[in-house]
Amino acid sequence: MTDNKHDRDQVVGNVDITRRTFLHKSLLTGGAVATGSAVGVFQTLSSMEIASAAMSEPFSFAWVSDTHLYPRELNQRFIDKTVRAFSEVQAMGDKFDFMVFGGDLAQLGHPVEIELGAELLQEVTIPKHFIPGEHDWYLDLGESWNKHFGETPWTFDHKGVRIIGVDSVGRAPDYWSARGMSNEERMAHMSGLDGSQAGPWSGLGSEQRQWLSSTLSDWPKDAPVIIFSHTPFYEYFPPWNFWIRDWREVQEILAPWQNVTNIHGHVHQPLYNEIGGMRSIGMLATSWPWPYAPEGVPELTRPMLRVDPGDHFDGVGWGNLAMNAEAHMEVEYMMWREQVFGVGRADSGTGDNVNQKLSPRISDRGWTGD
Amino acid sequence: MQSFKSKGLIAFISALLCVSLAFVFMVNRASAHKVSHDAETLKAFNDAFMEQVILGDELFHGATMEGINMSNTGMACAMCHPFSSDVHPHEYPKFQEQMSEFATLRDMINWCIEKPNEGEIIDPDGEAMKALEAYIYWSNRGSVLDPGRH
Ligand SMILES: [Fe+2]
Ligand SMILES: [Fe+2]
Repeated sequence: MTDNKHDRDQVVGNVDITRRTFLHKSLLTGGAVATGSAVGVFQTLSSMEIASAAMSEPFSFAWVSDTHLYPRELNQRFIDKTVRAFSEVQAMGDKFDFMVFGGDLAQLGHPVEIELGAELLQEVTIPKHFIPGEHDWYLDLGESWNKHFGETPWTFDHKGVRIIGVDSVGRAPDYWSARGMSNEERMAHMSGLDGSQAGPWSGLGSEQRQWLSSTLSDWPKDAPVIIFSHTPFYEYFPPWNFWIRDWREVQEILAPWQNVTNIHGHVHQPLYNEIGGMRSIGMLATSWPWPYAPEGVPELTRPMLRVDPGDHFDGVGWGNLAMNAEAHMEVEYMMWREQVFGVGRADSGTGDNVNQKLSPRISDRGWTGD
Repeated sequence: MQSFKSKGLIAFISALLCVSLAFVFMVNRASAHKVSHDAETLKAFNDAFMEQVILGDELFHGATMEGINMSNTGMACAMCHPFSSDVHPHEYPKFQEQMSEFATLRDMINWCIEKPNEGEIIDPDGEAMKALEAYIYWSNRGSVLDPGRH
């Protein structure tokens, strides 16, 4: 098996090419790329080669997200991977202007988990910016999170780029009050990706959309914008909240800006899409990889190589991102393995789903047999 | 005539016996299919199935039951397999790369319990395994059988 892996790398060529995604359309389609079936709703741009008048002073930053920490005594493995990511970021600290933590620091939003996360985050001494994930939020509706990491949304300008962090998790329609759920029950329903009770919880909401609109209003239309969110800014797979429910309204707000990059977590997988004038990039988790959506991935996504479930350091990692001098994003998935992307269909982690038909779960729907 | 009559009677009694036994041992006897099923019977069959599906769904999503310990890491099956995706029950039996051997779905379930979850393997014919299998198949119903596929 090891020999086969080696052969595949030789076929692809330079290992750097398999690890690094330059987010130019020409380079994305330049190699032997395995794709899943495209999902029809995406309006895909023919090119993201934007003739941008605004050049950027190049800079790099790191992304870590989805550490999903449990209390120390329950799970050491997620701690080990979090520590590894933070120390690797710190070791390359000179290169990065800042680090973004992209949410799902905790598994069940417990103050003990959030405090453990805060403690581990001390390893990283470069400037840090935070956005919450749903796992951080629904035990106490953001109280512990905001206490440790401050409120979202936020914005700052950095080397010619307007940088924005939003909360795409904390504004769920209330699914708990009418059902009389305790805080723990509310969190439990939220913590299962495929649950039936928490509904379309991911979205910006009208207040935050207004904030986004006014935050961008003074920014030149050809100048680059980076927006960090926990969930993707388009409709990838709503049943797992691999979307924001108000993505159409958000697209409308962003439409006048020609160079918008959305960096998101939550999906625990490499993902790439272009929609409107925006590119959206899915990042790795440190904890574990989710499977790709049953319906397939956006056409522009290079799916990652199938994950070895016997190695818990496989299929996970963190992100090394850069805005280059042409104001294009570059992403390197810092995955703890040699080969990141699948080559052939059978290797891709999506090619296996051709005969698969799935149903949502039933036991959390209150089924009584009648 | 006599013998015909008595043969007929025996046949009649056997038929009666069969019908009543079929009701008594409905799920245990091959003769169960010799009577037509009314809606209530079919519902009872389905309820018996769905009960297992629901138990399996719970186990798959991290619940536990007496005598088993499927995980020591806080990991549940559904954390890698939401909607039981990427389980591909319709592709078993097959050569299973992780195990380096020809394997059934039950073999693979136990492999996941033992390796990634660091739990204790469950009885391959026990209650928990049957329930997990029921949930996984139910959740993947409609998938096209494709045994042996990698
Ligand atoms: Fe996550
Ligand atoms: Fe999440």
